[in-house]
Amino acid sequence: MSKETSTKWKALVDLPSNVWRSIFRNPLPSSDRGRAATSFTNFFLHIQPVRVSRQALRPSYTMGLGLISFFLFAILTVTGVLLMFYYVPSTGQAYDRMLDLRSSVAFGIILRNMHRWAAHAMVATVFLHMCRVFLTGSYKPPREFNWVLGVALFLLTLLSSFTGYLLPWDQLAFWAITVGTSIAGYAPFIGKELKFILLGDANVGQEALLRFYVLHVVVLPAVLTIFVAVHFWRIRKDGGLAKPEPEPAKLTPAVEVTVTEAVPALVPVAAAAAAAPARKFTIQGLVRGPLIKVGKLEEDTVFSWPNLLIAELVVLLVTIAGVMAVSLFFNAPLEQPVNVMHPPNPAKAPWYFLGLQEQVSYSAFWGGIGIPGIELLLLLLVPYIDRGKQGVGRWFARERILANSVFLLFVFVNIVLIAIGTFFRGANWQFVSPF
Amino acid sequence: MAAAAKRNESGEQPIPRRQFLGWISGVGIVGSAIAGVFSSLVFLKPRATYGQPNRFSIGRPEEFPPGARMAIDAKRVCIVREGNKVAAISTTCTHLGCIVAPSETGFQCPCHGSQFDVDGNVTGGPAPKALSWYQVSLTPSGELEVDKDNEIQTGTYLSV
Repeated sequence: MSKETSTKWKALVDLPSNVWRSIFRNPLPSSDRGRAATSFTNFFLHIQPVRVSRQALRPSYTMGLGLISFFLFAILTVTGVLLMFYYVPSTGQAYDRMLDLRSSVAFGIILRNMHRWAAHAMVATVFLHMCRVFLTGSYKPPREFNWVLGVALFLLTLLSSFTGYLLPWDQLAFWAITVGTSIAGYAPFIGKELKFILLGDANVGQEALLRFYVLHVVVLPAVLTIFVAVHFWRIRKDGGLAKPEPEPAKLTPAVEVTVTEAVPALVPVAAAAAAAPARKFTIQGLVRGPLIKVGKLEEDTVFSWPNLLIAELVVLLVTIAGVMAVSLFFNAPLEQPVNVMHPPNPAKAPWYFLGLQEQVSYSAFWGGIGIPGIELLLLLLVPYIDRGKQGVGRWFARERILANSVFLLFVFVNIVLIAIGTFFRGANWQFVSPF
Repeated sequence: MAAAAKRNESGEQPIPRRQFLGWISGVGIVGSAIAGVFSSLVFLKPRATYGQPNRFSIGRPEEFPPGARMAIDAKRVCIVREGNKVAAISTTCTHLGCIVAPSETGFQCPCHGSQFDVDGNVTGGPAPKALSWYQVSLTPSGELEVDKDNEIQTGTYLSV
């Protein structure tokens, strides 16, 4: 009787820790085995490698740009879902809902600001991330296809931003989309049909608003998420972040295997670790491909827990803080409601499309379809054109001076075009001086 | 059938059944995927639109005095009357779809600076072709009707 009671009492006392341990299989790790176990027994942590190279953690190497882009996407998803609770994709209501966000919705202004500024920032960071990958030669084998996925992600980012641009249904939105979809109309063969399917009508109107809304809140984010997942997965499968080839090491025995004893299958990993802390495992499995790095493994890498996690947390906090700070001081623009009869003069696209618009003012086909198409094709083919193996994993490697110069020239031309479109174009797209 | 049998007799290998079925399945799966994508596109292309009709009345000829050039922005046409000849010129810029505004020299686009003469021919800027002229007709009730689905030769007027 009393023994039974005490068992029940113990179950009650242990309830919190039992629940906790059923969720988190490992206590906070204190040994290297535990650190490894923590990484691969947690769903969210197992996306990351157990060990990560020091180079990948150096802020001056990656500048955290890929991670910042991902966190901005996360911020955009959260704020976007919240905004959806108040938004109506109807030409009669959309603009009023923007005003409501300003006046009557709690935290409406800050959420809309965060969504807008994070979107602008994401376009910038994704582009800068691409520049980083190029200038460090990180697209070279075996990472060619991940570069291609990255270019696709850049396009998806632009498309998401562009479709979101229409939703406030103000003058800026309406005319930017009118101009943008007309550019699509210049595509050879399919242009007219593409434009009609995109707009659901001959002109930008209710159908276009609904279609852009669906693309913006469902289709593009879903596709983007899948691509991001594959992009991350490929980073690991391609052997982590690109790093310089190690000095040719003295020929050492390929793999030193000191597995002495198999762990009984049913014993939790952590318990086993506690039971036999001295046991040393050096391989966890054999995988074909560029994964296994032997040789200077110990000096060049550190455990992801806590080194990588802390770095990621810092980037997350800085990203959120940055977006919040900008959103507190600057309001997202909202122009007059749509007036189909009076285009603003000049009618300008969002800044990242102003280079395109500047090109378009010379020739609609070449500026809007031809040259961007060629640039995109070159971007996609870069890792298959440039097959040199030198200068991987270093900024501005001397061996890559030609490739880097060509790339920077393209970047420079596009930035100049954007600057001209932004600051030097006035009414009727005439040249004006901002000074 | 006969040919197949003959080949068998001559000792040549017929296509193995497994390979044949695999091939047929592949065609079926890829074909269904293509048909699925294609029918989705058909679904996405609206058969009827909810916007403005492309054929509309603009009022009686007397409302447009000789020499008038009246832009109806809501309909995106400019009604031109010279003497007793009437025409409807599109005010949608052929460049990127902005609304052109009548000016002293013809038409001017606010978006990318395209310029057109009074007949809609390009005189400057990036516009690739002249503004369209639409068919104008007189309805039995005596009103002018513009049909934007019907583009006509530049310089074709309706006499009223």
